[in-house]
Amino acid sequence: MDTLQFLADGFSVAFQWQNLLFALVGVIIGTAVGVLPGIGPMSGVALLIPVTATITSGMPTSAAAASSIILLAGVYYGAMYGGSTTSILLNTPGESSSVVTTLDGYQMAQQGRAGAALAISAIGSFCAGIVALIGLVLLAEPLSNVAVKFGPAEYFSLMLLGLAAVSGLAGKSMTKALIMTVLGLMLGTIGIDAVSGIARFTYDQPILYSGLEFLTVAVGLFALGEVFKTILEKDEETGAIAKIHRIMPTKQDLKDSAIPITRGSLLGFFIGVLPGAGATLASFFSYMTEKKFSKNPETFGKGNIAGVAGPESANNAASGGAMIPLLTLGIPGSGTTAILMGALIMYNIQPGPLLFDEHPEVAWGLIASMFIGNLMLLVLNMPLVRVFAKIIETPKKYLLPMIVAISFFGVYAVQYTTFDLFLLLGCGVLGYLLSKNDYPVAPLVLALVLGPMIENNMRRALTISNGDFSIFFTKPLSLVFIVAAAAWLLVPLLLKLRGRKVIINEEG
Amino acid sequence: MNKKFDRFAGVAFLLVGILFLVESQKISDSAYGSSVGPKIFPMWLGIILIALSARLLYETFKYKSEEWKKERLQYKKFLIIFVSAVLYAFFLEKIGYVVSTFLFLLIAFQTVERGKMVYSILISAAFSFGVYYMFSELLGGSLPGFPLL
Repeated sequence: MDTLQFLADGFSVAFQWQNLLFALVGVIIGTAVGVLPGIGPMSGVALLIPVTATITSGMPTSAAAASSIILLAGVYYGAMYGGSTTSILLNTPGESSSVVTTLDGYQMAQQGRAGAALAISAIGSFCAGIVALIGLVLLAEPLSNVAVKFGPAEYFSLMLLGLAAVSGLAGKSMTKALIMTVLGLMLGTIGIDAVSGIARFTYDQPILYSGLEFLTVAVGLFALGEVFKTILEKDEETGAIAKIHRIMPTKQDLKDSAIPITRGSLLGFFIGVLPGAGATLASFFSYMTEKKFSKNPETFGKGNIAGVAGPESANNAASGGAMIPLLTLGIPGSGTTAILMGALIMYNIQPGPLLFDEHPEVAWGLIASMFIGNLMLLVLNMPLVRVFAKIIETPKKYLLPMIVAISFFGVYAVQYTTFDLFLLLGCGVLGYLLSKNDYPVAPLVLALVLGPMIENNMRRALTISNGDFSIFFTKPLSLVFIVAAAAWLLVPLLLKLRGRKVIINEEG
Repeated sequence: MNKKFDRFAGVAFLLVGILFLVESQKISDSAYGSSVGPKIFPMWLGIILIALSARLLYETFKYKSEEWKKERLQYKKFLIIFVSAVLYAFFLEKIGYVVSTFLFLLIAFQTVERGKMVYSILISAAFSFGVYYMFSELLGGSLPGFPLL
């Protein structure tokens, strides 16, 4: 019964007026981020961290962390929903996770059923959010109870698994993904070593003693990288936006999509829990599943509502599922959750098994607010779908420079140094160059966040074993994690050798 | 895939790896008697990066370069915006937040697309004043103000 009690406490946190407001602002901004092509969930969340940090600066740490994580998570799943709007109306996905939605969604819009498609994706997202919420409630306690028993060796191996999972699935070349991971770990070693207090790679520059700020690097790589890309590459003219006639789906539509939504939610949730496999994979798998189970698979790609309902539920459920490893184990499974984790660490709150004991209001408040946020999305998006469709028309002319200005403001307001502004610009150029040449940046950010923790756990484990590396292989759980990590890297490699096409996760 | 970039990146990463390996040797050993000091981790990272970049370089010789699509990149626009962003960062603390932000936005708006000067001025002014007053006055944060006032 403890869990229900905690959940009730969580709801009382989420129902505080400022947190309701934060959730509302979060989902609205998130939907806008999802609708606007060019800003993905990752840069959306990264850009808002500094803004939330300033807004919550007057509150006590724990409450501030709860409020800002509520807002940031709202942006995350709001973006998942918003991405579908452009897929359906414009045939251009706002996020990689809604690529498959274009297949049937745009066809539906062509047939004058745009409203029904949008409504179904809102309903599907809502149901998926609920499924993810139930899953979180059921799994959070048991998982964190297991994780509490982990020693440094287990943690080290588990984080290694997290990194391997993200690198194994990110991008076209695993070599490149691994290079980015190692580079992120290296950047994490800059600064004063937490264990011994020795300055490393600082070259007597006082500004480097505290290390490179994760926030600056993330905003630079993602947000500025995308802005630079849009400025440099003249984009194709966007097509005409489909008209929305009626919003409410028909009874037949609802009946046709009930099962796909259920299937998509469950599938998406479990894929989301796996590290490395994110919303993009979930929506893709759901589409294939629906096609397989359908009585008339030939209608897929011609405006079958199941092809919208399934994937849209799946990508939302996956973003909820991705919260589980983050909250219970402290291991982010994707780029966006890595950024959320960075935000929590900024507030000196360490995600992981102890989170539920030490800061229950953050963990349960977030879980409860996800429910409220999903409800808000449903209530908001049905009537406001036309308004959000208008956002697509925001001229790039004003949008792009404004993103640069917001990044500058955010980084400066948190760091108070111009050094970070130059670092931001440098990371922007690097982010553009790297992602343009298929070097995925998500593993770098993940490694930068996890780096110090991996190193500390490794050294603690080695200190216990007197420098004997076999400690990672003799502890049974640790061995399991290491074997899993190796499998994650080797299996795609073996499949590739046998000439199979491997599905990769572009979203990261 | 761009072979040239990959080769260049491979060499660059190789150098970074070597740098880490060499520089990590200069980090003094831990004082508190543990056998695992602060230099082990960076040292191994350096070694792994060297191995990975060697692998990357090897891969560039293996695959055939795909036809590199000639893309007309808008270098001029990008450079103007990038240089003004650098100047923005440089002058932020010297001429204050409002003035520098206003100038940066105005230049950037006009660079992305010329015309509609009045709108550009209005939006830049609204943004820079709005952010400054919201942040400094309402939320009590601190941003470099006006140097002359």
